[in-house]
Amino acid sequence: MGLLEYLTATSMDGDYAHVAERRERASRRESPDGEPSGAKPGSGLAALVVLGLFGLLVATAALQTSRNAAEEADGRDQLITQIEARSAQVDALRGRAESLREEVDQVQTDYLEATTRGRQLSTRLSRLSVTTGAAAVTGPGVKVVVDDNPNATSDSETVLDKDLQKLVNALWLSGAEAISVDGQRLNSLGAIRQAGTAITVNGRSISPPYTILAIGNRNAMPARFVETRGGATWLDYQSTYGLEFTMTSEESLRLPAANQLTLRHAHVPDKRR
Amino acid sequence: MIAGLGLLVGIILGLILQPDVPLWLEPYLPIAVVAALDAVFGALRAFLDGIFDDKVFVISFISNVLIAALIVYLGDKLGVGGQLSTGVIVVLGIRIFSNVAAIRRHIFHA
Repeated sequence: MGLLEYLTATSMDGDYAHVAERRERASRRESPDGEPSGAKPGSGLAALVVLGLFGLLVATAALQTSRNAAEEADGRDQLITQIEARSAQVDALRGRAESLREEVDQVQTDYLEATTRGRQLSTRLSRLSVTTGAAAVTGPGVKVVVDDNPNATSDSETVLDKDLQKLVNALWLSGAEAISVDGQRLNSLGAIRQAGTAITVNGRSISPPYTILAIGNRNAMPARFVETRGGATWLDYQSTYGLEFTMTSEESLRLPAANQLTLRHAHVPDKRR
Repeated sequence: MIAGLGLLVGIILGLILQPDVPLWLEPYLPIAVVAALDAVFGALRAFLDGIFDDKVFVISFISNVLIAALIVYLGDKLGVGGQLSTGVIVVLGIRIFSNVAAIRRHIFHA
């Protein structure tokens, strides 16, 4: 017999049948005329108590489940408040770091401007800080806005970290001199990563639509962009998956300084000695 | 009728008293409820069949609850608690369904 058939055939406890049979036999022995079997025996008090117990069990289980759900919701709310408080703290600290960095820059410039050699160094420094992302920059360039397919149902219809990486690499290839993604300046230490469903740039989460600013030759960049592999891929995304993509050329863009500048392992070799 | 009253009294008692379930007992509560449900439906079917017996019901109720909890407890100790709970629920679920089907036949004669 199959397991399922067995289960359905013996779904009622066999004991009921056994007891009924035994009782019938006993009653037949006592009065052979045949008293109608199946008369409800027992007071039913025990059954009543057990049913009450069952009700108690069900109520307790239900209460416990709802109580647990409330506790979980509480925990989640607390976590959310904590996250918000911490990110506000991080923002404040970032702002302080920013102002301190500006102060340091100012002091450095003042100090260097005092001597001829210092002035040379100062010029070199400001040129370098544009390429390393240490300073905010302005200039003409292109503004790219990308977004998920409005009726996205799958991952391929949403913008992922690797899509943004391709886009940014294509912009570098087409001659961009400085790039920022949603206000995060990219330099050689910057990173675009996926964290769950969100994309983080330089460790900060950003949300669609994504705005990418790139400073460079604003007339040549769009044409060169299409010629790069990443650019072609993005045009593909646009036509095949319905990702939204617009590129406009802008007369003047302002990009902030990058927030990651500290080199922990790389050093300049001491060649002057 | 009286049975329904007993059930109601139990539920109200539970809602009023709100007993605190000790933490170690918490995982066995849902499975105990399902096992008890199986015993109750079996009893209802026996009642409609005219072979209901007090003693059998009480014993089947208590043993069902205890054995279901014991199986899950054992599974937890062996590290297969989730799978064993699923197994117990499937078996009890099938029994409940076929009992309810029999009860339905009794009530609606269909």
